[in-house]
Amino acid sequence: MKIVAPVSAAAEVGPLSDAGADEFYCGLVPRSWVERFGTAGANRRIFGNLASEGELGEVIGLAHARGRRVSLVMNAPHYSEAQGEALLELAGQFATLGGDALIVGDIGVLALLAGHGPKLRLHVSSLLSCRNAEAAALYRDLGAHRVVLPRDLTLAEIAAMIAATPGIEFEAFILNDGCVFEEGQCHTIHLPSRLGGPICIDDYAVEHARLDGTALSDAEAAALAANDASYQQWLWYRFSCGFSVTDQGYPFGPCGLCAMPALAASGLTAVKIAGREGATARKAKSVEMVWRVRERMAADHAAVADFAQSLRGRPDLCSSGFMCYYRDALAAH
Amino acid sequence: MTGPTVALALVDLRHLAALARADALTVAACGAALGWRHDPFGGALAARTVTRLQVGGEACERLLPAPRLLAAALEFAQARGLALSLATPLLSDQGMAELRGLLDRLPAGTEAIANDWGTLRLLARAFPALVPVAGRLMCKMVKDPRLPSVAWARLYPHGIHAAPFAAMLARFGVRRIEMDVPPFAAMADFPEGGLQVGVHAPFGVSAKGRSCRIGSLHQPDAQKFAAGHRCARECLAYTAAMTRPQGATDLPTHLRGTTILHTHSAAMAEALLAAARGTVDRIILSGDWH
Repeated sequence: MKIVAPVSAAAEVGPLSDAGADEFYCGLVPRSWVERFGTAGANRRIFGNLASEGELGEVIGLAHARGRRVSLVMNAPHYSEAQGEALLELAGQFATLGGDALIVGDIGVLALLAGHGPKLRLHVSSLLSCRNAEAAALYRDLGAHRVVLPRDLTLAEIAAMIAATPGIEFEAFILNDGCVFEEGQCHTIHLPSRLGGPICIDDYAVEHARLDGTALSDAEAAALAANDASYQQWLWYRFSCGFSVTDQGYPFGPCGLCAMPALAASGLTAVKIAGREGATARKAKSVEMVWRVRERMAADHAAVADFAQSLRGRPDLCSSGFMCYYRDALAAH
Repeated sequence: MTGPTVALALVDLRHLAALARADALTVAACGAALGWRHDPFGGALAARTVTRLQVGGEACERLLPAPRLLAAALEFAQARGLALSLATPLLSDQGMAELRGLLDRLPAGTEAIANDWGTLRLLARAFPALVPVAGRLMCKMVKDPRLPSVAWARLYPHGIHAAPFAAMLARFGVRRIEMDVPPFAAMADFPEGGLQVGVHAPFGVSAKGRSCRIGSLHQPDAQKFAAGHRCARECLAYTAAMTRPQGATDLPTHLRGTTILHTHSAAMAEALLAAARGTVDRIILSGDWH
């Protein structure tokens, strides 16, 4: 399985390659985009982009010199028609620079690029919510080369989808991204923190009520309060255990390391480390963790889960299951 | 008043029993039968007759109707002279298999509303006698209930008007779409052209998850909030109001099952009624998912 890592600066290509990354993905908001559309929303992460077309060319050159592919994200949740045309132009520039693949989050733009774009690989973003084999077959039929699966799938679902859909590659999340809602079905904005930030960690209070209009019993109220406390705990795990790292710099938070043997056995092509907006050290340590587990798989397939859980030195956090992308891996362990 | 037809959306088909006791299926009578505590459009549609029953929903595959309840809905619709649509969510392969069983039961010409591109492919491939509709979660737009101004809503303009999106719909024979009313809606938000447009009211979907907070209520800790976790369909018994300290100008927001819903403002309702004098030909009132 290939390790796919985020970059937001050309200077990251070397360290992340050295840490074990096989492919890179990055974003760019062309100056012409901002001038034309009055928004920086060319992709999903406004603050994790390369500075310029020149830097994009630099990333491609550095990556290719190391035998790595580069993908460019076009993963805003949706685009207007004029923006789709602008993306077609950007795809042409990316191809001219020698880029390898586009990661696309809008089905209309995907079809546009497949029909009228340059000869580049097309990867279906997790924004397109490929949750079943019918959808995967559709994306394959449209000309896509790879599907990036959404987060909330089980290992069994992933294996079945891959088995049922030959002719297209699959990539799955392995570290760091903590969306609570399905990316492809979340219609909100990551507002600045002064306005609330992402809606899933905004400072909401919830007040439960029965739909039949009757009052909650004491037992119901207590059960709901306990469930809410568990939910808050899960959110803490989901958002990197309070955005913390180990003494060695390994990030806590959403993780599928224990599941790597099962993912590999199912025929998965690549695992994705999320977080273009993260610091370089966080990205490098993330790549290093995944690479170490993959190396362990080659050496001793049976003990991978124990090894993966030992990396951060906090088996208590792992055993909760709340850090897992693929909780069925923990159950199998 | 001519203009849009009115559909009634029901997720929990046990509510058919209450509707069956209503003599006439006006909006007001349906609201009374279903115990609405809201008054959509300030009563402007109260006397309108519901002509379509939309069963199922986009929130969760565990809410696909049981075959016997779908059969009851078909029988009810036929008896009351209603057209029927089956609304479906994003689906796992297991959910897709369940859906096939339901689609097999639908008479030719019945609308099947997809919120999953895989479902549209399935409909085109295996159920050509049904009428495919693109659901509101496929017609994406920014619907954040917290937006302080229209400028934020324009950060990511929607592509419902875009030719490539229309071409994708045409590829699957889709002639009808459904959508929500975006915050700060303007007439330009509602498509003009060849597509028929239904709009949901008076609640919109802001976000939907697969993990379910209320659905984890009776699960052991090891299973809570996991992908594909079991549930006891607690979403059919509970709802939750959501409030936040800086939310003075927010749209009223609540959590129902997997879904964050918001209530339309008066301005949004007015924008929809204005659009319904032109491009929108159907208003889909939420019967029980709010």
